[in-house]
Amino acid sequence: MQAEADLAARNRICDIAMRTELFAADWSNCDRVSNYVANLVSQRRADPLRYANLFSSVLNELLETAFRKHGASGNINCRVYRGGKHDTIEISIPCDDATRGFYASAVTEASRPDVAERFVKALLDDAEFRPEIGLLELAADYHATLHLDTSVAGIARITVDFVLDERNH
Amino acid sequence: MSFTVRFEPNNQEIVLAGSMRPHDAGELADMRRTMEGALAAVSGTLYFNAKRLVQLNNAGLHELVSFVRRAHELKPTLRMVFVTSSYVGWQERKFALLAQLHPNVVVEQYDKDFYPGQTVLENSGFIPILRTQTKMTWRHERDILPRHGLRNGMAIADICCGIGDFAVLVAKEFRPNRIIAIDHAPQSLEYARRVAGEFGVEGIDYIQGDAANLLLEDNQFDFVTCRHSLQVFDRPELILRELLRICKPGGRVYITNEKNSHCLGEPRAESIQWTYNEVARIWAHFKMDIELGPKSRRYLMDAGFEDIKIESFMVTNLDGDPQDFADVIAAWEDVYAGQMAVQRGDDAEFIARFRQGFQDHIAAALHPKGYAGWPIWAASGRKPS
Repeated sequence: MQAEADLAARNRICDIAMRTELFAADWSNCDRVSNYVANLVSQRRADPLRYANLFSSVLNELLETAFRKHGASGNINCRVYRGGKHDTIEISIPCDDATRGFYASAVTEASRPDVAERFVKALLDDAEFRPEIGLLELAADYHATLHLDTSVAGIARITVDFVLDERNH
Repeated sequence: MSFTVRFEPNNQEIVLAGSMRPHDAGELADMRRTMEGALAAVSGTLYFNAKRLVQLNNAGLHELVSFVRRAHELKPTLRMVFVTSSYVGWQERKFALLAQLHPNVVVEQYDKDFYPGQTVLENSGFIPILRTQTKMTWRHERDILPRHGLRNGMAIADICCGIGDFAVLVAKEFRPNRIIAIDHAPQSLEYARRVAGEFGVEGIDYIQGDAANLLLEDNQFDFVTCRHSLQVFDRPELILRELLRICKPGGRVYITNEKNSHCLGEPRAESIQWTYNEVARIWAHFKMDIELGPKSRRYLMDAGFEDIKIESFMVTNLDGDPQDFADVIAAWEDVYAGQMAVQRGDDAEFIARFRQGFQDHIAAALHPKGYAGWPIWAASGRKPS
């Protein structure tokens, strides 16, 4: 697939696997893992602290989404690839039919041209918090490109490709 | 990192700090109570200070949206001002969304206003001369720093690093285990990275940040330096509070500052003395204290440090090439007489006399029998264990 070919051309700079049951047992794992990975991958950026802060914001929204929407068992795998200024996070989440449907709908919505308006509307207008809001934010605010692969049974693999803002550096 | 919220009634300000990443609104019940209490107590404008809010997830933002909406239902004329930091990359975009809720919601970036005098310095031709200054002071500080506790292999933070050359010298001389250098000016950091590259020094993390609101966690560093910088801020105690916070218990914070009215020279001592007394006044006009040096001990004590050490040293025309000293004074003349005095609205007669003192200082530095000095105070304190 094209997405896999693109990733193969980039350097894999981080690869972690977490048992879903353990990860989903504690909400603060999202914060811990996103900060840990962010510090790891930001070491050689112009301003590592700023980069790590932004990277953590992106990854945390992905992990929080995975925390809220995942299948019963298996591994959650998180890989980070780098090619020039582009970073790609690939997250594989165990899923059942309902979870797969959620991600298919969310990634489709995040890929629409009016995603910025959709994100603002979800945030400002909806009384209830919508679990897909994090994915919408990645597309709307970070101009990330999201791709969903469900070719492996029981797995939703989401790739998020983005360039973080390093202005002023 | 945990999340805190508090209300400061005197400023009508809700201070949000730390990492706000709740699973749901229920986790923010304390915040909600604090904000509801604030809402009941304020009138006119309610400030939200987010300068040290390091992270905010969408669940947290959704809750803030909900509060802002409710606030406008209860107090339709209330103005709400979110004060953000430009050093936290996501803040501008995320808080801008809140401004879409209501015309009375305003988002302001804080950082520029805090440094009333620095713009004068940074917009000037000052940066090139900073490197010469560091070269001159390093001859003294290389020996002074160990007396204040600097050892090989430490974790070091250089706050207000400017063009970063001090961090390079420390990295080469003291082989730190970790060293970061922070400044708020991107052009200085760009220069700093270039200098480090030219010297083949790797491993210094140059970071853009606000010295009064560092995005670093507590108790990180064995040795924290902040040189020639407290004197540039109108509220140095805010910087010292942060230096203390990021320093490890038992670690030390090292500061250097000047007292320009004690600059001296022979011959033409009187003219030189007059001009440097005026330098002190003009800095005060721009809300900076170039006389801070001897006050360092008091500032460190008031900030809560112990085992305070203070000493002074005199950079002179006899430290290396006298022309270096003369170049520094010429740069000061350009900035203080050529720009700051003009901005203050001084007349031509004053400026001519003001300039003369610098010229006399340069003459003293280059005179075969002359002596010219620039005194600096180095002080440090230990963070209580």
